This record gives sequence, C-alpha cells and structure tokens, in this order.
Amino acid sequence: MRGTHLGEFEELVLLAVAALNDNAYAVVVKSEIEEKADRKVNISAIHTALYRLEEKGFLESSVGGATKTRGGKSKRFFKVTAYGFKSLREAQSLRQSFWNVIPQLSTQK
Amino acid sequence: MKQQQPPVLLRKLLKRIIAPEIYDEVEGDLAELFQERLHEMSMKRAKWRYFIDVLCSLRNFGLKRKLTFYNPLVMYKNYFKITFRNLLKYKGYSFINIFGLALGMASCLLILLFVNNELSFDGFHEKKDNIYRLDEVQSFGAVSEQKVALSMYPMGPNLLADYPEITDFTRYWTLGRTLVQYKDQSHYTENLVRVDTSFLKMFDFQMIEGNRYSVFDEPNNLILSETLAKRIFGDENPIGQIIRTGEGDENQIKVTGVFADVPDNSHLQFDALTSTKLWDSEQRRNGWGSNYLNTYLQLANNTDVEKLEAKFDDFLVKYMGEEVLEFYSLFLQPLSDVHLGSMDITHDYNNHKKFARSSVNIFLILAFFVLLIASINFMNLSTARAATRSREVGVRKSIGAYKGQITGQFMMESIMLSFMALIIAFLLSFVAIGPLNGIIDRNLELSFFFQPLHLILVLAIAIVIGFLSGVYPALVMSGFNTVMALKGSGMKSGKSFFRNALVVFQYAIAIAIIIGTVLATQQLNYMQNLDLGFKKDLVVTVNMYNDTNSKYELFKTELRNQSNITDVTATTQRLGNNLHQTSIQYRADTALINGSSSFVVVDNNFMDFFEMEILEGRALSDQYANDKAGLSFVVNETLAKELGAGDREVLGMPFHFGGNDTLGAIVGIVKDFSYNKLNLKVEPLFMSQQPWGWSEVDVKLRADKLQEGLAEIEAVWSTLYPQRPFEYQFLDDHIDKMYQSEQQLTKVISILSVLAIIIASLGLFGLASFTVKQRLKEMGIRKVLGASVSQIVMILSKKFTALVLIAFIISAPITYYMMDQWLASYANSIGIGIGIFLMVGIGSWLIALLTVSLQSYRVASSNPVETLRIE
Repeated sequence: MRGTHLGEFEELVLLAVAALNDNAYAVVVKSEIEEKADRKVNISAIHTALYRLEEKGFLESSVGGATKTRGGKSKRFFKVTAYGFKSLREAQSLRQSFWNVIPQLSTQK
Repeated sequence: MKQQQPPVLLRKLLKRIIAPEIYDEVEGDLAELFQERLHEMSMKRAKWRYFIDVLCSLRNFGLKRKLTFYNPLVMYKNYFKITFRNLLKYKGYSFINIFGLALGMASCLLILLFVNNELSFDGFHEKKDNIYRLDEVQSFGAVSEQKVALSMYPMGPNLLADYPEITDFTRYWTLGRTLVQYKDQSHYTENLVRVDTSFLKMFDFQMIEGNRYSVFDEPNNLILSETLAKRIFGDENPIGQIIRTGEGDENQIKVTGVFADVPDNSHLQFDALTSTKLWDSEQRRNGWGSNYLNTYLQLANNTDVEKLEAKFDDFLVKYMGEEVLEFYSLFLQPLSDVHLGSMDITHDYNNHKKFARSSVNIFLILAFFVLLIASINFMNLSTARAATRSREVGVRKSIGAYKGQITGQFMMESIMLSFMALIIAFLLSFVAIGPLNGIIDRNLELSFFFQPLHLILVLAIAIVIGFLSGVYPALVMSGFNTVMALKGSGMKSGKSFFRNALVVFQYAIAIAIIIGTVLATQQLNYMQNLDLGFKKDLVVTVNMYNDTNSKYELFKTELRNQSNITDVTATTQRLGNNLHQTSIQYRADTALINGSSSFVVVDNNFMDFFEMEILEGRALSDQYANDKAGLSFVVNETLAKELGAGDREVLGMPFHFGGNDTLGAIVGIVKDFSYNKLNLKVEPLFMSQQPWGWSEVDVKLRADKLQEGLAEIEAVWSTLYPQRPFEYQFLDDHIDKMYQSEQQLTKVISILSVLAIIIASLGLFGLASFTVKQRLKEMGIRKVLGASVSQIVMILSKKFTALVLIAFIISAPITYYMMDQWLASYANSIGIGIGIFLMVGIGSWLIALLTVSLQSYRVASSNPVETLRIE
C-alpha cells in the first residue's frame, strides 16, 4: 500500500521507539540509535522521521515532562501503535522469508 | 547553578524555521542536547553543534506547518491579476494614464541625456582640474569692457618662468584651413593648429601612432587625425612621410604621428597639429600687445587660483609697462567652465558647440516640470478612478484586509504602472532620439542608460515616481468606509479639493511654459528679421588666400562680367562676427588723441554693395584717389559720437590707424549696422580700404538665378585658381548660424511645451470623463425636468473653466516677471504684450473646454432613460 512503506531509517526509528517502551522522545531515540547502530544522527533527522511516522499512523504521541535542562519546554513522547507493530512484524517476516531461502541457495553452490 | 542557555539569536532563528505547533518540543529537544554536550565539550563547540542542529532543522520547515491565512505570494499574484484586469477593463484611462507618464519620462530621459553630454565636455582629460584657460578683459576707450578668449604669444612662456605654481603651459594657435600637398594631390586640413610641445602632455587626446612626448621634437613635425591621415595617405603608413604646405624647402613637413579623431565633446577641435617652433621668432617672443591665440596653463595641485590671478597685474606691468592696466587684465577660466561658461566671452573662436549653462538649467527645469505634470496626471486619474474600485476595496476589507494591505496593493499597482510607463518611455526615446539629434546637432546615444549604474538609477526614479504618485490615491482608497465602499460610493463628496488644486497647478505650469515659449520664439524671430543695417540676402562669400589675392582685381572684373552676378566686393573680416579691434589716432582741435575701435578693411564699394545708409558725408569710392590710397575713413554713428564729443566736426577730421605718421581723414558717417549678434550693443567701428590682402570676396547674385550665379563664380574661380577647390557660403546662413544655440533652445522648448499641454489635457480629459460619469444620474434628472443639451454641457464645463482661470491668474504674473528678466538681457528685445497672455490663456481654456465638452456632450445628448435606469 502506498504511503505505508517503511524506509530503512524509519524502520530503525520505529524499532528504537518500540524498544524504549514508554520513554521515547526525540533525544532519547537519537542516543538509542547512535548507541545501537553506531552511527551519528542529527536530531533534525529524528524529528523528521518521528513526525512522518506519526502522520503515517505508525506512531502516536502525547505531550508531557518538561525539565529544567530543556529550558522548561515539554517533551513529546511517542508510542508505537498496533498498526506500527503490525508493519514491523510484516517487515521482519518479509526479511525472514528471504533468509529462509538464502541458505538453500548457498549450499547448492 | 545558573542554567546555560543556547544562544538567543539561534533560538529566534529556530522559531522562524519550525512550525509553531511543534516548536516547543523541538526547541526542548535541541536545548536538552545542548545541555548534554556542555558536559562533554567546550561551550564554543556546543554552541557550534547547536548551530548545526538549527541549520539542519531547516529540513523540517514544512513539518506540521498549516497553511496560514495570509500568504503574501498568493496575494501578490492576485494584485497583479487585478491590476491587469483593471488596465484592460478601462483601456482608455489606462492608456491616458500610462502614456502621459511615458511622455513625461521620455522627455526627461532625453533631456538628461543631453545635459549629461553637455556636462561631459572636456571631461576626458586626466589633468582637467588643474588646467585653466588664460583669458583677458579688454577695455579700450569707447569700446565697452569685454572678456575675450585671447592671449598674447609671449604670455605662456613668461608666466611659466615667473610663477612656480604654474607647472606647464601650451598655446593653441589656429592656422585654419590649410592646403597641404602630398605627391600631386592637394588636400585641405580643416583646422590645422599650432601648439606647444607640452600640448599632448597636458591634454589626453588619444595617440594612435607616434609617441606623445616626442612627436614635436623637430620644428617641422606634424601629426594628423586618423580620418585626415586616411584621406591623404590612404592605406600607406603616414609616419615619416613628407607633405608640403607650399613651395620651397621650409614648407616641407614631416608626419610623425596620428591621433584618434577628436571626440565631439571636446571644446578644442582640430584635425592636424604642428609645433609653434616653426613660427617662433624674436619678434613674436616680444610681441606683447597682439592677441591672436589661446593659452592654457596647468597649475600645481591645490593652487589658490584667486591669489595667482591677483599677481597677474604685476606680471602685465613687468612686461608691458604701467599704463597697460588701463587696457588689460587677465583671468583664469577652469577647463570645466570653458564649454558651458563662456557665453559672455567674445572672440572665442576655439570653442566647439559652446553652450550656455543657463540653457542647460532651463532644459532641466522644463524636463522636471513636464515630468511633474505627468505625475500629477497619474495621481489625479488614479484618485478619480478610486470610485470605480470602491467595491473591490469594500470586499477586500470585509474579508479582513488591513488598511495597510489595501494601501500596499495600490502602491504596488502604481509602481507597476510606472514601470510600464518607463518601458514605453524607452521605446519613445528610441524613436525620438534621431530627430532630436538632428535638431540640437549632437550625437546622443541611449546606450548611456544601459550601463548598470545608470539603469539602476533610472529604475529607482521610476519607483519613486510610482511611489509618490501612488501614495495619495492609495491612502484615499484604503481609507474608505467598508460599508459605504460596498455600496459603491466610497468617496465622500466634497473631497475633490485636492484634485482640483492639482489640476490648477498642472495648468499653471503648462500655461507658464507655453507663454515663455511663445515669447522666446518671438524674440528670436524678431532678432533674425530685424533690419541689420545692411543687406545680407543673396550674398555669397568666398574665402581668399595669399595666393589668390594677387589676382583679386582680375577675379573681380571677371565676376562682374557674368550675367547673373550683380556686384562684387571684398573684406578682411566677415560680417556676422565680433570684429577685430585696433588702436586709432585722431586730431581733435590741435591735440593728437589715441583711442581704439573695431575696424574692418573693405573694398571701396563695400558700403554700396551692402546698401548701408550714409548719414553724413559719402561712402568710400574708387573715384577718389585718397580712398584708393587708404587715407579715407568711414566711421559708424557710435564712433562718430565719441569722436564728435564737444560739438567737434567729425567729417574731415584727421584720422588713422594707431602708429601711422600721416593721418588720413574721415569722409563719411554710416548708420550703425549690426555686424554682431543682436543681443549685443553696436560698438564703435570704422572702415577703410588698405592694401592688406582680402580674406574674403563677397558676390551678390541675381535673385532667382542662384544656381546659375554659383556656377559662374565656380567657373571663374577654377580658371584663375586651378590649385584650389571652389568653396562658398551664403552670408545669411552664416548670420543665422550665430543664433543656432538660441534656435536649438527654442525648438526643444517648443517641443516640451507642446508635450506639457498635451499631457495636461490628457489628464483633464480623463478627469472630466470621470466627473461626468459620476454625475450621470443628476444629468438624467435634469434632462427629464427639461434642461437642454447646451445647459447641461454648460453645467459640466463651468467647473473646469474656473480651474483654468485660476491657473491662468496664478501663472501669468510669475511668467511675466520671469520673461521680463530674460528679455532684459537682449539689447534689442520685443515688448511683452498682453495679447500673448490672453491668447495663451484663452487657448488653453479652449483646449480644456473642448476636452471636457467632448465628455459632457455625450452625456447631455444621451437618453435620460438609459442613465436613470442604472441602479
């Protein structure tokens, strides 16, 4: 279906949000990805991805939790929706289906 | 601990980038990162990273951003569209509006071009600020004091030697038309000039071949203009060639250089230069008292010119004795003043296209006023049209337009129209520049305006005009009451005072310009047709030279034998110039008195030839031996008055040129004739025949046989003087040429004044049609109640008649005063009659009436049913 396709980076962000459970907002997502994937990401890219994913219905969000370090500004917490989980699983199974074929091919060599 | 905050400026930037809906969270995220980084790195680096984050956030510009209510781009597009729709909807008014402004702009552009050209004269010399022309003030006896652009041969070198602040000098001594021979071919150099070797060092005339510092190393060196070199040598290399100016070795001249043709905006014009060295002699070096050349001085930087001029009296005394100060004083004229500031200087022979600075100013003022009239039109029509746009304004306002937005819209509209007018103005100028160049004898080029700086300037002026003329209508329209505007009658009645005032102002200017033009033209015609005191018609002048003078008698006799030639005479100076002056001596009672006067040496039949009126005594004649011997003199009235002071008898008075031992006698008094421009007074003058050789022969032709007569002169000339091509000029052409500057001025002013009245009438036409339209219903009702067509036309025209009348009352006295001043500068001037004022006043009223009536008649003759039906 058009518009629901998951990009590589988007998938990564979606996974990170899922992994972070209830504490997923942009800064944490960024550090999570940087840690796990060992790559530098600019915060603006995270913003882009998060708001896009929300628009596509993979994520939902709520506002809360202003802290002093943030200059009193609130955070936006993201949560993966059911539809988001479904898509993640679909993506995973799609990959799995490929992986299931790959060893057979390689042994026939 | 105080919390470190990210830089304020960057936060503000971020606020602009990120949509307000998500700005809080995003800024919070960035702030948190910033705080985290502060633990890991320096403040500076953290700030830098923050900056990078802000910059990268640009990609999120569109994120969550909702379409805002006010989108300027969409609005501007709408403004454009509405502007064009309105233009097309009211084609007539749009045309009047834009075309009127374009006319004003075009005349302004062309005038600016001309003024720029005038101001550019002599501007290409690098040392221009330090170069001065040495001029004299002469005052000889009865001849009134006059400034002359002449100086003496020894002045330059001695000034250089005596005053350290003078760093260089050059003389400029014309030899005039000179015949040069190369191989077997003869050519004329139009203007061969003798200059000092320093000439090319002071003036930056461009050299094409030859070194400017060494081309005059030998006395017989000569350099030519590119054109002349091509004419004489064709494709041969001119350098090193020998040309001849006569027989004998001393007349062999070697070409050492070629210079680019002298640009038109140089007051010095020459096509060949040679060094003064060949003419230098002990006698000339001591030739104090003879003025026959120009001297240019180069001063050291920061020289106080006034202080230097103050020393010149001592200089004159040193070389010419104490009494010289009675006759001479010297002054310096900056090079930049020579072209535009020499109108009061006579004997100014080397001043190409000399022009009056006051005329340049008149042009500028007129151009400004024409543009002003056009701008007022623009303003008036836009304001008048406001009524038709009131619904639009009402709708805009009711859906939330601010007052400022409405103002902005109309300002933008007027700036756009102004740009369109500018484009049309350029097209008009493009068409008009050819004829204009013909009238004013210049080579103006529009390309001047396409240099980036000038183009920006012109565009800026167009914007300013659009802005200024748009601001009032825009304010009026934005001030409409919304409800009233929607009803279609936004204009409060009685508010047209400002518009009426503008119409009055426009017409006042136009009337003033027209009266001024009519008077100036009349004055010029008057001067050209005034009785000069001699008959200039049908006279052909032929230049004489040393080699042609020897056969003068034969030439004269031969010419007289021709059937279409009525008479022949000769003179040393052409009439229609300021004549040369000389010292005179005469015996009154017993004392020998010295004085000075203008003079002209003439053949004995000169006075009969020109039909001059003899008041007392007789004219010169070949019948008298004394006349032939150069001992008889005829003086003019002015000189006679001076000589006859104290009731002395002038006729028979012993008289001669200064320095002669035996005196001749005065035999006649001739009525004053105007040998010079008619705005100058007639100076004392005497005539006599002397064996000095003629500089010109005057031939009178039979009235309807001009071509045949010319052919006859040419035939005689060619037989007698085969070495010289035949050339001639009509004397009346020569005399008309004296008024060329005035003629050009009046022609251009006439054009401008016609433009002024056209533009003003265009405006009135537009305005009238709107007024008429607004009163359609009123007129319908009047008609229903029984008003006749003429009554209605009358009602509508009354107001405009009043406006024109007020304009006339304002402008007439001012114009009278200014023209009175101007005419006072002429020795022979016309009076200012009330007739002209009435004529122009009534004329402009008729034009206004006609314009208005065209509109009102249409209404008056229409069927009231049609007009009353509209609701």
